[in-house]
Parts: sequence; C-alpha cells; structure tokens
Amino acid sequence: MTALLPLVAIGVALLFWEGVARWSEIPLFILPPPSAIGERLTRSIADGSLQRHTLVTLSEVLAGLALGAVSASLLGYGLAKSSTLEHALSPYIVASQSIPIVAIAPLLVIWFGPGRISKVLISALIVFFPVLINTIVGVRTVPTELYDVMRSLRATKAQIFRKLEVPAATPVLLGGLKIGATLSVIGAVVGEFVGSDQGLGFLINVGNGLYDTPLVFVAVITLVAMALVLYGLVAMLERKVLAWRIVEVG
Amino acid sequence: MKSRWLALLLFGLVACQASESSSGIRLPMGFIPNIQFAPFYVALERGYFSEEGIDLEFDYSFETDGVKLVGAGELPFSLVSGEQVLLARAQELPVVYVMAWWQDYPIAVAAPVGSGIETPQDLAGIQIGIPGTFGASYVGLRALLHSAGLTEEDITLDSIGFNQVESLISGRQQAVVVYVNNEPLQLNASGSPVNVIRVADYVDLASNGLLASESILAEDPDTVRGMIRATLRGIRDTIEDPEAAFEISKQYIEGLDQLSPADQDLQRAVLAESIKFWKTDRPGYSDPQAWENMQAVLLEMGLLAEPMDLAAAFTNEFLP
Repeated sequence: MTALLPLVAIGVALLFWEGVARWSEIPLFILPPPSAIGERLTRSIADGSLQRHTLVTLSEVLAGLALGAVSASLLGYGLAKSSTLEHALSPYIVASQSIPIVAIAPLLVIWFGPGRISKVLISALIVFFPVLINTIVGVRTVPTELYDVMRSLRATKAQIFRKLEVPAATPVLLGGLKIGATLSVIGAVVGEFVGSDQGLGFLINVGNGLYDTPLVFVAVITLVAMALVLYGLVAMLERKVLAWRIVEVG
Repeated sequence: MKSRWLALLLFGLVACQASESSSGIRLPMGFIPNIQFAPFYVALERGYFSEEGIDLEFDYSFETDGVKLVGAGELPFSLVSGEQVLLARAQELPVVYVMAWWQDYPIAVAAPVGSGIETPQDLAGIQIGIPGTFGASYVGLRALLHSAGLTEEDITLDSIGFNQVESLISGRQQAVVVYVNNEPLQLNASGSPVNVIRVADYVDLASNGLLASESILAEDPDTVRGMIRATLRGIRDTIEDPEAAFEISKQYIEGLDQLSPADQDLQRAVLAESIKFWKTDRPGYSDPQAWENMQAVLLEMGLLAEPMDLAAAFTNEFLP
C-alpha cells in the first residue's frame, strides 16, 4: 500500500491541476491542463519527433556524464592523495564553479562547433564538480588504521588502491554520481538552448517560438523522466556494488 | 473571466509585476538595450509619451514572452516581428499588430566577398549557420530559399546560436543568417567584408512593429492612438537627426558612451543602416500584401496549419 502512495499523490495533483485549469479557463498557452499535454505527448510520439529528440539528448547526457565522471574521479583521486596538487589547483577549481554555465556555453559552441561535442562538454562540465568533491571526500575518509593494516600485510600501492581505497570511497563517489546524473541533463539542455537543431532543449525552443506551451511541457516532462531514470540506474548500481556493505550492516 | 484566473496563486508574481507599473506602460522590446531602439529613447526623452499620458517603461525580455504577456492581457503592447503575430494568433492569442515600424524584413544571408555567394540561387549546396531554426532568422531564410526555388534539403543548416560573426570569420560556416543592420557592419569593420543577400530584395514580408492586445483596442483605443503617435514622432526625429538620437540613446544603453570611438562609430553605422528600414511615405502603415506573403511562407514551412483571417491580425485603424 505504501508503495502506491507516490502514484496516488501524483494522481491527485494531476486531477487538481486539470480541475483548476478548466475551472479558471486559463488560456492554453499560459497553463495547459494535463489532458492537453497528454494529447500533445501522443502526437509527438505518433510522428516520432519526441523519440528522435529524446535520443539525441540522451546520447549527449550519457557521453557528458561518462566524460565528467571519469575525469573528475581521476583528478579527485590525485587531489585527495597529493596536498601539493590540491593546494595548487583547488582555488581554481572552486572558482570555476562560480562561472555561470549559460555564460560560457556560447563560447563552447564557437570553439567546438554547433554539433554534439559542445553539448557533451557542457554536460561534462556541470557533472565534474560534484563527482570531484565526492571522490576527494571518499578517498580521504578511509581510516588511517586501515592503511596501517594494509601496509603491515605488505600490500602494494595497487593493492591498497584496489582493495581498500576503491571500496571505501565508492559509497561517497556514487553519491556524487547520483547528483551528477541529474545535473548532466541540465548541462545538455543548456547546450541545446544555445545552438542546436535537435534534442529536447531545441524542442522547448520550438515550443516557445510557436506558442505551443503543451509541447514545452512534453519536453520538460521527458527531461524530468530522463533524469529520474538516470538517478534510478545509479541507485541500482549503488545497491549492487554496495551489497557487501548492506550485508555487513545487516 | 480574467479576474478568476488572475486570482490564482500561480500567477501571483505576474500580477505583482503588473501592479508595480500600474501607473504606466511596460513595453517588452524583445532584445537587449540597443541603438536600434533609439526612436523610443528619443520619444521618451522628449516627452512625447508623457504628452499622450503614457508613463513608458522598457522591458528587455524575450520577444515570445512579451507576446504571451500581451496575449494574456497582462501588458497592453509589445514590439514584435511580423511572423510572431500570425504564430501567436494561430495559438489563439488575442493580439493585433497596430503599427508597422520596419518597412522591410531585416533578415539577410551574409557570405565572404569572393566566395561567389551573391544571390539566393548561390545558396544551393552550401553550409549556412543560423541562430536557431525558429524566429525571424529562420522564417527569413526559408523565404529566401523559397524565392530561389530551393528548400532546406538543398543546404546544410547549422544552428550556431548568436555566434554568426565568429563562425563566419573562423570559416566554420560558408554563410550565416544575419540582421542586415547589425552583423554585416561588424564583419566589415573587423576586416571581413561580406556580400549581403537581403530577404527584402526578393520578397516583401511583414516586419517589426507594435503589437497590442485585443482588450486594449476595445477598451482604451485612445491610449493605442497615443502610443502610436508618440512612437512615430520618435521615429521621425531619429530619421531627421540621427546624431541627436545617438546622444540621447547613451542615457538608455549602458556602456554606449564608454565604447572606443571606433566602436561608437560602428553603433552609429548600425543606427544609420536601421534608419533605412524606417523611412516611408506612410508611417506605421501595414501593407496587406506583406501579411499575405508572410502567411504563405509560414504555411509553406508548416508553421501554420491553415490560412487564417489576416484582417483580424493587423490593422491600420489607429494610425494618425
């Protein structure tokens, strides 16, 4: 029964929305009711446009997530292990986070062209920071006594990395990846807003340009669904990878 | 009906914003502060709007947002490009175009001098950069292609954002879609002279002008007439004395007076080029044929599903 509660909640919210939209006669271009959005969703699926644009955005998101997560993990490990490197780079990394992504997105489009590369890079940039920070925190939280144990067993650096640091840092790292998974969607869409002729960000631009607000909602809802699925996949990965930990805790 | 949905919490912010400027009129310009809005700055500075009882305030939000606010009855006027009027009315927004400001459609395709790209026919087979496949740029390009018997399949079209100058100079694009009064001047000034293929030389399309809500036309026609009178006086003054208009504009465009002399001259050139589009024997007049042409282009593009009643989309009734 408890599992059904979220569905009941969304159902009630949709009914309320539909009722308010109909009762108040809000024009369709301001706030379309769920029924109008559903009808637009059906049309977008029927003509294949939603699937086409969704696949484009998804490919950018996955590539950006992979690029951002891998590069952030590698650099994060380096920063966690070397205080010199951290002191040298941290101010710049932190400062880079204050740069609004929408301000540099047009520059990336100029530098790397209007194709998918610029969108992947924007997505990777937005994923980078949370994964980086969580990697540093994850590696640094490994208790020093465990290092002592490994060294007393004459473990090599590679063994310490594989047998101690990776398992110990993984829970925190996956936490960063969950945040990054949702942010990667925003990154790709920002890139598509700036200059693109495909993808869900482009579809939102088209909807706005044609005063087709139901289409805007269709694209936004698809983006939300994409972010939720990605988040769910990382959560599943977390449960699988950390099964040993759950057993241990249990 | 309006009061019912205005009461909704969801629109509280919009209502608050509207009430802030209840003593005056907030005019969405559709673009950032720019020298091409000089007629409005002149009219405001010289008191033409206040003589009409209008306390005008500029709003530099997106064009489509302005149209929606007018359609929702939240704001009475907005500056728009012609195609927006028909696209908005197709979605049942109660808006009417009441004053033509730009006499020709200002979109063009620019290509480097020496590229051999000089006419619409030359666009076949080349790579063209465009800010996006929507709005005036896209409509203008499609009209230009159509005039040469071409379609979008005959070219390679890249959406590049508002990076036309950089994309053309860097050679990433063979040609770019531009505003005649802006990017070609920047390109020429930066030592990259371009050929300019103007849409207006091949097809007459309804261009930028003043949009009004149906409700203000019905409820307060005097304000509509006053708004148009004041704007036309600003346009006339700017055409007659561009230098004075430029000086006045410095008070409204942040940083304009800080530009280097060369960059200020470039802005003067933008104004001079814009003025060419404003000169007419019939100020404010909308040519019905330009609206027919615009509708034909939008139908051909598939942006309109069916022809509409154009007589309801524009009017010359409120002109002085």
